[in-house]
Amino acid sequence: MRIGIEDLHVAYAGRTVVAGAHLVAAEGEITGLVGPNGSGKSTLLRTVYRHLKPASGRVLLSGTDLRRLSPAEAARHVAALPQERGGDFELTVREVVAMGRTPYKRAFAGEDATDRDLVARALADVGMERHTGRRFTELSGGERQRVLLARAFAQQPDVLVLDEPTNHLDIRHQVELLALLRAQRRTTLVSLHDLNAAASVCDRLHVLHDGQVVASGPPRDVLQPALLAEVFGVRATVVDHPLTGDPLIAFDHRAPADAPDVRPVEPAGAGIPMSALSGGSGAGPGRSRR
Amino acid sequence: MIDTLVRRKGTEERHPEEPARTRSVPAGPLASALALALLVALTAAVSWGSTSIPAGEVWNVVWRRLCGEPPRPGTNDLIVWQLRVPRALLAALVGAGLGLVGTAMQALVRNPLADPYFLGISNGASLGAVAAIVLGLGTGGALGLGLSGAAFVGALATFALVWTVARRRGGFAPLRLVLAGVAIGQFLSGFTSYLVLQAGDEQQTHSVLFWLMGSLSGASWPLLAAPAVAVPVTLLWLQARARALNALIMGDETAAGLGVDAIRLRRELFTLTSLLTGVLVAVSGAIAFVALMVPHACRLVVGGDHRRLLPVSALFGALLLVVVDIVCRTAMETQELPVGVVTSLIGAPALLYLLDRRLGSGS
Repeated sequence: MRIGIEDLHVAYAGRTVVAGAHLVAAEGEITGLVGPNGSGKSTLLRTVYRHLKPASGRVLLSGTDLRRLSPAEAARHVAALPQERGGDFELTVREVVAMGRTPYKRAFAGEDATDRDLVARALADVGMERHTGRRFTELSGGERQRVLLARAFAQQPDVLVLDEPTNHLDIRHQVELLALLRAQRRTTLVSLHDLNAAASVCDRLHVLHDGQVVASGPPRDVLQPALLAEVFGVRATVVDHPLTGDPLIAFDHRAPADAPDVRPVEPAGAGIPMSALSGGSGAGPGRSRR
Repeated sequence: MIDTLVRRKGTEERHPEEPARTRSVPAGPLASALALALLVALTAAVSWGSTSIPAGEVWNVVWRRLCGEPPRPGTNDLIVWQLRVPRALLAALVGAGLGLVGTAMQALVRNPLADPYFLGISNGASLGAVAAIVLGLGTGGALGLGLSGAAFVGALATFALVWTVARRRGGFAPLRLVLAGVAIGQFLSGFTSYLVLQAGDEQQTHSVLFWLMGSLSGASWPLLAAPAVAVPVTLLWLQARARALNALIMGDETAAGLGVDAIRLRRELFTLTSLLTGVLVAVSGAIAFVALMVPHACRLVVGGDHRRLLPVSALFGALLLVVVDIVCRTAMETQELPVGVVTSLIGAPALLYLLDRRLGSGS
């Protein structure tokens, strides 16, 4: 199944955050959503998992308007991993994963063999099968995200929607989580903050800017220096990753794109002290660069 | 340096080898044990008192009454059937109701410190009930429905007020919610005291204590009607939504992703908890701490899954209040204590412990 978003407008807290977005998340592909803060990534995703209602436009699940399904029906097709972290209510890892079965269960219905099997498999898929009895709030950030991912798997969705799943994770856990997603080969719509992560994990990227999709395509086509300067306001060059061959965006961390060009003309290593390289570029003369 | 690195790595990798920690107490046997304990406590509650009545005679009287047989002359039929059984049952119903209200309210505001007494909602209900009495609305009402209705309106209005004051950007800071509730609750209870004293009732002091501290001394068969309907209905209603409650405590977005309409569920919970609080306060006044403590104690034993937590909280709440009422009636020779006194004595240290655990850790 695929997700199609057509001319989507969403208002949040009284202002239009998504203004006419179009995009497609194709079956079996990882579709990335990138864009600066406030560009509407989270709002768009929240509309896909039906936390927010569109002001106009549609979210289509293989041609069916998601709004025409009941909440439970929609949740059987689309599973979400939002950014929020729950309160401290002594839930265990297994209980959190078992929640994934909610859209399939009627009132008073207990857990059957299918539920138990799916929960066990989801826990194994994320490598948390030995932690079933631990308290969810005691877990590290990385473990927590894996458990939430397992909950989404237990939901048996056609589409996974993840809102910045690598936020607040250290680099090892970011890599683990993304590798896990990659290995699943599910239809996935994911927003990512880290453009390099997006470039190596996603099959296609959509760049959001002020609530609109301004570029779409394979990462290598989309992540061009001109777009990075215009949308993200940074100066960067894109090279091939020496290890993986993926596009690697090398950012200029010294000054934003719109700063006056004050780079020294001569290349580094030509007898110029290192400190001179940053001189006058906004870092200030007092900054030490040892 | 290398040594520490290696050791660090070692501790990290210890986790996967740890045996899975699971809840040691299964809910089914625990619920049965609680039910049995409740039965024993109820028997003791009827048996013990100023006149001691053997447990055998207690059950004999109850059995004859239930079968519709005439009471044997010269027995303690009147004491058992008209005084102590209704009171013990009222304690059980109110306790179960408070356990449920606390569990539901904590899920509703996603805050383990929520409780109708702390959020001032019990005080609002008390004020509603007292206002109804002063205005002459409640006394004539069939089975105290007028009183319950007024208490419900008071509870709902207070809940809405506390909610509005404490809500910020779609969430509740734990401290903010509790402080708003305490402040509003104190304001309302001051107003209630004023009304009770103004009414010029001959039992002024007793009434003030009843509405502000909670008491089961007014128990009678007619008084049991409203809670006997409200408590089981609430339990069933909540149990039917146990999975949705689990989703709700993870957050509104999680709930939406799991197919739960959080806004609708919350609106229903809002009404239901206010209604039950109204009924409970109308029959027993504002009893402190029970609704706060019971879900916490039960979570420690059966975990946070509402499918298990709800019935266990109801049973444990019932057991707790029956036992507390026995203490209240028998602790002093000359007079009985309001239940609220004893629940406060147990509850305040428990709250301090919770505050330390939840807020002291800096979260």
